[in-house]
Amino acid sequence: MSSLAKILTRVTAVTLKELRELARRPAAIASLMLGPLIVVALFGLGYSGTHRPFDAVIVVPADAGYPADIETYRQLGTGAIHVVRITPDAEDAHRLLRSGEARLLIALPNDLRARLEHGEQASLVVEWNEMDPVQAGIAQATAVGLVQEVNRQLLKTALTSLGIETVSVGSPGVKIPAEVVASPLKLEARNTAPASPTFVAFFAPAILALVLQHLAITLTALSMIRERTSGAMDLYRVSPVQGLELLVGKYLAYGVLTLVIAGFLVALLTVPLNIPLVGDRLALSRLVLLLTFASLGLGLLISLVADSERQAVQLAMLVLLASMFFSGFILPIDEFREPVRYVAYALPVTYGVALFQDLMLRGGGGVPVWYEVALLAIGVVLFVLTATRLRATMRATA
Amino acid sequence: MTVTRSVADPIHVKDVFRSFGDVVAIDGVTMTVPQGALLGLIGPSGSGKTTLVRMLTGTLLPTSGEIRVLGEDPRAFQRATRERIGYVPQDFVLYPDLTASENVAFVASLFGIGWWQRRKRVRQVLELLGLWDVRDRLARDLSGGMRRRLEVACGLVHEPDVLFIDEPTAGVDPMLSREIWDEFRRLSETRTLLVTTQSVEEAELCDHVAVLHRGRVIALDTPEALRLGIWGGEVVEITTERPIDGEALRAVPGITRIRQPGPRKIILVADDAGAATPLLIEAVRVQNSGVASIDPYQPSFSEVFAAIVERAEKERERVEGERAPAGRAA
Repeated sequence: MSSLAKILTRVTAVTLKELRELARRPAAIASLMLGPLIVVALFGLGYSGTHRPFDAVIVVPADAGYPADIETYRQLGTGAIHVVRITPDAEDAHRLLRSGEARLLIALPNDLRARLEHGEQASLVVEWNEMDPVQAGIAQATAVGLVQEVNRQLLKTALTSLGIETVSVGSPGVKIPAEVVASPLKLEARNTAPASPTFVAFFAPAILALVLQHLAITLTALSMIRERTSGAMDLYRVSPVQGLELLVGKYLAYGVLTLVIAGFLVALLTVPLNIPLVGDRLALSRLVLLLTFASLGLGLLISLVADSERQAVQLAMLVLLASMFFSGFILPIDEFREPVRYVAYALPVTYGVALFQDLMLRGGGGVPVWYEVALLAIGVVLFVLTATRLRATMRATA
Repeated sequence: MTVTRSVADPIHVKDVFRSFGDVVAIDGVTMTVPQGALLGLIGPSGSGKTTLVRMLTGTLLPTSGEIRVLGEDPRAFQRATRERIGYVPQDFVLYPDLTASENVAFVASLFGIGWWQRRKRVRQVLELLGLWDVRDRLARDLSGGMRRRLEVACGLVHEPDVLFIDEPTAGVDPMLSREIWDEFRRLSETRTLLVTTQSVEEAELCDHVAVLHRGRVIALDTPEALRLGIWGGEVVEITTERPIDGEALRAVPGITRIRQPGPRKIILVADDAGAATPLLIEAVRVQNSGVASIDPYQPSFSEVFAAIVERAEKERERVEGERAPAGRAA
């Protein structure tokens, strides 16, 4: 039997052995496949895609001449706020804010008329109590919008109360309505993207990338650690099998399995869930292959550095957690500071999320070409590292 | 057993040491195993058996010394050489989710055996070890004895010239133990086997026995030679008609050791049992008794093993005692 035939025999043996072992544990495979799907389903059902209005308390000074009924203020904020209380007591309003019963505190100025008569601005105080940076940002934007709206209402009311229905500006004889004076610009917004995906559709490609990476890492991380802890590595050390043959066998076994699962997930996303797949399937297969290759390398590296199954699982979960935070899955990578961005670019899923979203929702071309090259490079580097580490593991113990 | 190395000797070990930190696991072992021998490496737990086997198979490096298996240094075995070596580790390392035949076929594949030949070999070894009927049963569903046999089958499937088997009968019932050893004896007709065991009684089933104690080979010979050699003569058991003082027989010329397990029973070692017999009968008669029976005594291997260890311990104490004053003087 020639050397090449022997090599093929060994590689095939490792591949078949891995697949057989996997087939004997259908429950483990099912949970690996269904677990993430349940997460996607819960995400789709539980996330409405609209921001809940801020519950607001408004401090209305007693002697300032403002209306005191809550209905008057219900119109404020154009849906961004929900007025839950009107109070003249600022301390009472702060108590509500601290306790979380209100998320916004709006204090109307008690010297509005006096300041306007003196040609000065009065202050509309808006306070919030948010730790979450995303929510704090939304509160800030809501406050800005609120001031603009109140200003517009005040100007319109003031002009109308003065009996001024129109104002002469520019060319003689042109009458400009008070509302136009108050809001000289009209916002006209437009989204130029080829599609306006729903939140579920927008996140589905990212979840697919995350699931594939996690699946590949978990399967391989446990596979090699089992060989090491069971003592099978001694058998390999004595036999003529080489580390590279063992590694290629494992890559093939788990690669085939991950690709099958990827096909199943893509079919599930595109058919029953109606997630768009604008790009062509061949390109998607290429991306899945690249992501799988890189992720298997990461999983195998974990399995070679971890000293127990528990540690391997923990490391795999750590990668999942890092992927959730830093891959652009939830927050844009640009929003991270420079050193943290390197963590993002070290994760295969970072490229997977961007490439999958671009291909499935836009049809491709919106992500730099080097993203694919970087994904391939990560895969190659991890393969070399894993092969080197395995070779060292299979050497005799000093 | 030979210590002189021949080119054909598949296993050769010379002045091998291995330590783990401050603990010396193998302390200057030298031995040679000839072609076609069944060598039993016997010693209590922690005596260094597995360490020695791991060094012979190339999974552990010696701290110093020379090891040659099939003429090569285990740390740099050629692939072709590895194909001629079989190894059955102490613990079950096969795949519980594969069937018996899949496990054997997988190991055969690791040794590069092609599909057609593999099918034949898998069947041969499974039949040989009585596992053909359970070939489709998952390894995790096999009994302990079956698993050990399955591991031996995996070690044999590529027809190795040298087979290292680490404690094959640990946790196996005596009947099955006997069957496994019978199998080893059959195998040793065509190949060299090194089998480790804690069971001293199994030593009798080997061609040669190496007794390992505190990392040192303290005895190395055929079982029979060890039995005869340990007390330095022929062992005789005397049963007297009435109780006597056994120590009185020490005056008989040619008697080197005496042990009296009972008032009428005396076991003694004689340089020449034939010459000593009439003198012993006379010595018993002098004590107003008679000899009811006088027979050659066949000590069990447990007794032989205990005596070998006792002798080694005394020798160690003597050497350490000699070193201590020298150290103090220095």
